[in-house]
Amino acid sequence: MPGRIASFFRNLLRKRAIEQALDDELKSAVELLAQEKMKQGLSHPEARRQAVIELGGVEQVKEEVRAIRSGMFLETFAQDLRYTLRILRKSPGFTTVAVLTLALGIGANAAIFSYIDAWFIKPLPYPQPDRLVIFETQDKKHGWTSGGVTSAGDFFDFQKQNTLFEQTVAWGGASLNLTGDGLPELVDGGRVSWNFFDTLGAKPILGRTFTAEDDRSGAPHVAILSQGLWQGRYAGDPKIIGRNIAIGGEAYTVVGVMPGTFQLPLMGIANLWTPLALTDMQRADRGNVWLPAFGRLKPVVTLEQARAETATFFAHLEKEFPKTNTNLTWLVSSMTDRIRKEEGGPEVMICFIVVGLVLLIACANVANLMLARATSRTREFAVRGALGATRRRLAGQLLTESLLLFLVGGVASLLFASWGMRWIESQIPGHIRGYIVNYGHVELDFSMLMFTLGITLLCGLVFGFAPAFENSRLDVNHTLKETSGQTSGSKRGARLRRIFVAAEIALAVVVLISATLLVKSFIISVRSSPGYNPANVLVAQLALPKTKYTEDSQFRNFSDEVLSRIRALPGAASTSVASHVPFGGFGQGIEFQVVGKPLQPGERQGAPFTAVSADYFSTMQIGLVKGRFFDSSDAYGTSPSIIISQTMARQLLSGEDPIGKKLRLGEQHSVGTIVGIVNDIKIYYLRERPGRHIYVPLAQCPSRTFGFVVRSSGDPTIMATAIRDAIWAVDRDQPISSVEPLKNLIAVVNTGDRVVADLMVFFSVLAMFLGAIGIYGVMAHLVSQRIHEIGIRMALGASPVHVMRMVLSQGLKLALGGVGAGVLAALGATRLLATQLYQVTPTDPLTFIGVPLLLAIVALAACYVPAWRGMRVDPLVALRYE
Amino acid sequence: MSFGSLFPALHRMEEKGWVEAEWRASENNRRAKYYRLTSSGRAQLRAEERDWSQVVKIMTAAVEST
Repeated sequence: MPGRIASFFRNLLRKRAIEQALDDELKSAVELLAQEKMKQGLSHPEARRQAVIELGGVEQVKEEVRAIRSGMFLETFAQDLRYTLRILRKSPGFTTVAVLTLALGIGANAAIFSYIDAWFIKPLPYPQPDRLVIFETQDKKHGWTSGGVTSAGDFFDFQKQNTLFEQTVAWGGASLNLTGDGLPELVDGGRVSWNFFDTLGAKPILGRTFTAEDDRSGAPHVAILSQGLWQGRYAGDPKIIGRNIAIGGEAYTVVGVMPGTFQLPLMGIANLWTPLALTDMQRADRGNVWLPAFGRLKPVVTLEQARAETATFFAHLEKEFPKTNTNLTWLVSSMTDRIRKEEGGPEVMICFIVVGLVLLIACANVANLMLARATSRTREFAVRGALGATRRRLAGQLLTESLLLFLVGGVASLLFASWGMRWIESQIPGHIRGYIVNYGHVELDFSMLMFTLGITLLCGLVFGFAPAFENSRLDVNHTLKETSGQTSGSKRGARLRRIFVAAEIALAVVVLISATLLVKSFIISVRSSPGYNPANVLVAQLALPKTKYTEDSQFRNFSDEVLSRIRALPGAASTSVASHVPFGGFGQGIEFQVVGKPLQPGERQGAPFTAVSADYFSTMQIGLVKGRFFDSSDAYGTSPSIIISQTMARQLLSGEDPIGKKLRLGEQHSVGTIVGIVNDIKIYYLRERPGRHIYVPLAQCPSRTFGFVVRSSGDPTIMATAIRDAIWAVDRDQPISSVEPLKNLIAVVNTGDRVVADLMVFFSVLAMFLGAIGIYGVMAHLVSQRIHEIGIRMALGASPVHVMRMVLSQGLKLALGGVGAGVLAALGATRLLATQLYQVTPTDPLTFIGVPLLLAIVALAACYVPAWRGMRVDPLVALRYE
Repeated sequence: MSFGSLFPALHRMEEKGWVEAEWRASENNRRAKYYRLTSSGRAQLRAEERDWSQVVKIMTAAVEST
């Protein structure tokens, strides 16, 4: 070993001397050998010639000896690098196309990866995030979960009696009315238990977080602002701590400001926090399941232990409170898992896989380009081989070439990646950001750079091997004697290229089929009727503050006055109001029982619930199935009328006439009569399945929250201002959360699907484009290889059309092979998409026929130009072509 | 084994320190490189001879047993 190290340095430092010594040694060896041969009677020149032959060629032997030397690797590599740079600069066309193709492919992958990283790989930005868990009520018997909430009674008892949690926290989203200091504004935020920020490890930039004293009903009102709200509405007031602001008409003292980076994705955008401060009665309430909650496990406690403790605790509660807690327990899940699952995990994964396939197509294209170039360099390799280059040396240089190409492509890809990332981010609308980890913001960071470097090297090695392998394997003698064109090396290379192109086409088929299925789902979901007509409908949402409005009559007066003002506007064709609107971001549910069909003890039944004005259904154009809409007979004080959705009628009262049946609603068990059945409507997602819905007249069941719906014929922006003014004319200080077209509200919720659909279209176009270029390249090369043959055929009488047909049929065979393989692969692969599809089967026949047909046509078109060129060949020129 | 493949082998052994080389004048007064086994080279040779005879023994036994 020491011998090798000494040799290593010796070789590097004394290169010229060593070369000279080797030269001398071989010269003297040849001389000695020649001398011996001369003794056998040969002349001096003949003896020398034979000696050199017996040696095996001076240059060849020198190369072999050089290969032995330690430290040769570095020297070789440096040499190859310089040579490669020269070569690439000499063919700018090839280099540009290859680098651009790689930059697009790798860049798209890197952009999607940054989202994978943010979603799945990076931990949540809290200290020890794996210790955070979410609690939600679950019905063991019927298998439903509450959607991330629990009851206050259960939570506070657990908080007192558990042993395995360091902290337990409850919170609720809230829309808070801010008045004074500017226009009235509805700000999204949260009411949180005092240890909310501390459990998440969030530190304020000014002031403090809440204390236990703040979190008591009746304690002095305090509030914490976000950095954005502080700098916006309060102009970054340096004396903000201790300042009083008006929330919901009451004075709150600001005690802290949270940094702009703080976020709890489950809470969404939050700019303002106040203590939960529940009354004793609210804390004891076990019947209403509405409170989101989470906790931090003690350091050495496992999730299983926590689940066991929770199960025992709730079994105990079941016995103690059978009326409210029968069959109920808590589902304890990791907060990280819950956040990742909610926010489009599967969609990101699908995009990642599809974009990976596109990268493979791009790499295959570049490999083909390299193979094509290499076949035109066979002579160069043959000469180098004759000069003594070993096969390993040649392969090494080719590999260096591909690696360099890929590395340059990888660096260029970062530009495309950042464009891609910026585009995706721009597609995420404002308030959705709040629910996405890190506000949907992704950056070019270390892990992304590592990923880019990793796949660049991987693809460079894998796809660089093909040309390296193919072209180092030469019979030097044979090649030098051949005319270019039909070299045996190029024959092998051509087969490899055909395989690559067929594989590319197959991958493109898989990409296109998957993308088509997803885009089809998206279009169907967007076009599907939501049960009402959202076109030209504006929605104004607001909530009346508790301090100002306490009586039902006040709610009614307010809405009546606003309605009459809006109806007076010229553009308002139809106006009505409901307690909340579809896609408005929140809803209400109510418990009910069918009179005459009592439930088992402990069983409960609920449905989404909306209080609407009489003409709501006609404004929204919701169809009536049976019975009647609400009218003036359903006035305040008369016996309550109820309208239910068609699905609810079918589920609960199938076979019977629902009209006239009675329902017991809510905690007060007020009894109402069903007077009508309407079509099902979609309220949360476009892809939701039709469900139950209960409507009551607003007149009989006043609401504090309102969504005014206005079907207008005029310009929406002008109408929006007019509607706002109408509301402010009734109450100058009423904050309005939004005035927006209903279509916008729906589009915002649909963002994820839309972004995925857009990306899929982009990937498909890219895949098809690359595939077409791939086929074109191979066919063009094939034609140029066969120019000689074509010339002969034409001289023998073949018509140009015949030649064209010959070329086209070859190309078509290739394309069909690839398409066939692709369809088979897609049949298996699309099963994975099943959960993401909406009213489209994974083996949708139209797609599986249409896409291959499209690709076959594109392939044919790509073959056309080379075929046409082949047709135009002048036989005389071709026959002389070498 | 051709004459030419001798040179890489000799240089490899020289790098590993198993042979030493020196330039001397040959019979007709030309400079030539002479190679000589070093002590570590001799040890290597002995080790390889041992391995080789071991292989021969095994092969013989195998042949004889069939």
